[in-house]
Amino acid sequence: MDLEFTEEQQMIKDMTRALLDEHCPIEVVREMEDDPKGYPVGLWKQMAEAGLVGILIPERHGGGGLGLLEAALVYEELGRAMAPTPHFVSAVLGPGILLEAGSDAQQEAWLPKIVAGDAILTPAWLEPDRGFGPEGVALAAKKEGDDYLLSGVKRHVNYASSADRLLVLARSDDGIELLMVDPSSEGVTLKQICSQSGEAHYRVELRDVRVPANARIGAAGTGWDTFGKVLHDGLVLQAAQAIGGADRCLENTVEYAKVRKQFDKPLGAFQALAHYMADASTHIDGGRALVHEAAWNRARGRSITRFAPMAKLFACNTYQDVTRACAQIWGGVAFTIEYDTQMYFRRAKEMQLSWWDTPYLEELVAADVLDS
Amino acid sequence: MDFDFSPEEQEFFDEVEQWLVQNHDPVVMDPTRENFTQLADTPERRAFMKKLAGKGWLGMSWPKEYGGQEIEGVYEFILNEALSRHAAPQIGKGVGIIGKTLIRHGSDFLKAEFLPKILTAEVEFAVGYSEPEAGSDAANMQLKAEKVDGGWKLNGQKMWTTSAHFADWYWVGARTDPDLPKHDGISLFLIPMDHEGLEIQSLPTIGKDTTNQVFFTDVFVPDEYLVGKRGQGFQMISEALDLERFTLFTLSPISERTRVLIDWAKTATRDDKPIREDPDTRRLIANIVTDTAVAKALSTRFVCAAKAGGKPPTIQSSQYKLFTTTLSQRVCDEALDITGVAGTIREGQDEAPIRGRFEGAYRATMNETVGGGSSEIQKNIIARRHLGLPKNF
Repeated sequence: MDLEFTEEQQMIKDMTRALLDEHCPIEVVREMEDDPKGYPVGLWKQMAEAGLVGILIPERHGGGGLGLLEAALVYEELGRAMAPTPHFVSAVLGPGILLEAGSDAQQEAWLPKIVAGDAILTPAWLEPDRGFGPEGVALAAKKEGDDYLLSGVKRHVNYASSADRLLVLARSDDGIELLMVDPSSEGVTLKQICSQSGEAHYRVELRDVRVPANARIGAAGTGWDTFGKVLHDGLVLQAAQAIGGADRCLENTVEYAKVRKQFDKPLGAFQALAHYMADASTHIDGGRALVHEAAWNRARGRSITRFAPMAKLFACNTYQDVTRACAQIWGGVAFTIEYDTQMYFRRAKEMQLSWWDTPYLEELVAADVLDS
Repeated sequence: MDFDFSPEEQEFFDEVEQWLVQNHDPVVMDPTRENFTQLADTPERRAFMKKLAGKGWLGMSWPKEYGGQEIEGVYEFILNEALSRHAAPQIGKGVGIIGKTLIRHGSDFLKAEFLPKILTAEVEFAVGYSEPEAGSDAANMQLKAEKVDGGWKLNGQKMWTTSAHFADWYWVGARTDPDLPKHDGISLFLIPMDHEGLEIQSLPTIGKDTTNQVFFTDVFVPDEYLVGKRGQGFQMISEALDLERFTLFTLSPISERTRVLIDWAKTATRDDKPIREDPDTRRLIANIVTDTAVAKALSTRFVCAAKAGGKPPTIQSSQYKLFTTTLSQRVCDEALDITGVAGTIREGQDEAPIRGRFEGAYRATMNETVGGGSSEIQKNIIARRHLGLPKNF
């Protein structure tokens, strides 16, 4: 047993932190909230040049070919900085789906461009009044000759306005398909919907959108299996991001508690408050170790069917609990826009509700424990 | 990064596991005694400890010159987790805080008297730190040790001496220098438990077992049974706790209880429907399993911090103790919620789900967030040493 990072891992972590310190200060994060594009092109370019966009993409496609553990270190930094980037959709889920089920042609067409930061992919998954499971996918994919005709509405589509392709989950006679759709196609309408965190989310309406059969990723009816498998990797990174956010929020709060005085004593000298922070640090350090264990198992080629949902479940609950405790310590100012605590607070809740929420994750864990 | 044991550690893990299966004895290994299983308090359990000694598993991390093997503490961690997983007595005070303190600070006389007997499991100790006025504030101990000709005369009272009614020797902190600051006036003594000046009074607990209070009346202790230097007692107590994080609180009993709960929930029914299909049960179990994984990750953290050497893993072990004891109680509480009103049937009866395992464990684990440093003490340690917050009491 050994929890030390390799030199390379430490370097990736340090480099990511330095890059984000320089190109993603808090002013940038604030500026990007509710922005229709939602991320600074300059930051994205920097990340691509540093090899962070292609971190999980194999070297044969121009990427870094690194594993989930290295990516988790990057995600903890993205979480700390609250960096507004399409990394999760375009550098994790998109390439993950293509690598899992895409044809050679699809991989060759898109992966090198993604690595270079020149193309953005984003999944179009969730639908209004529908849930997180496969039964939630209702958008119709009607076979017409060699084409599919797509009709329906997607919501919570991140960074759709910048996307070169949407990866649409749709229901055909064969089951659930993953189809690549050009958002500038006829019949596609985007509408920005402001989210709690201010991340650029879109409602995407598809009305008789025609896509050729070769836009399908993988065999007919296999879309959900592909998506679910890739999202399991994604859960570990969401968890890492949540831990990073919680960690930074706590760090800021601890510093404040050392200098802010009431009753002639620093806040941190009151046990009621010190104990909130001790609890928070315990949950963060425990959550981080669980995230690393999940990522390490995946990198070892072991199943993370249980580890991945556990990691996100615990990390996102922790992020939420920690930001609430921090807000309590900051007091009234945490409620104001001027102070940063509210930014972590909003993101924590959004992360807990997104990419499989608490009840869905609990059910994944329960099924693995009780139904096998 | 590596979350697995090394091949050598894994080999030891397998060896211990196999040996415990082969040496299974329900008289020795009774999981319904919950945290009291760690004690070698019956003739059968003492005989079991002698068998462990025969395997060379006592004092593995001790220096070779004292009969140890000088191997890493992680092997004692593996051993104790295995012992507690099987509800067997654990290596504890003797090879742990007492043996290690004697090795570092004891006189040649005390080393010669006690170390060999610890390695052969011929001596059991009781530890006396707590007193009526010294709970979390351990340095406030008032047991009076007066200098007399050739030794010391002790008067006063100790609390929570769990092993007093069966141990052979008493490891006791007493105030030798009442005029010095409270942390500097304490010395450590070894006293035979059958000393005529000691009166042991049983304090029954809501678990299956009792603890004790011990009264001292003119207890004479010869000079040579003062451990280390006069006035260094509290420093040695603190140092020993730091040295001995590996065996203080094991996770296996919690993982085992979780396993027992899951096995039960997989087959039990209510109103002719499988309990495992109940949404509340599924939620509770998912979170218990998740938090148990976090506890294990926190345990991996302190094992790795200890292995890395340098500073003792005080912070990591405080975080682990804080999280794990809270979880331990929650598992029992929620297990009873899952079993429903049948959970109220007292432990040991066939009518009860899992023969009342969780009814008993609910009571037995009540003290885990208090004993061995309360949750609040752990939080103070984390707040000050890890987060750098100011002193808060």
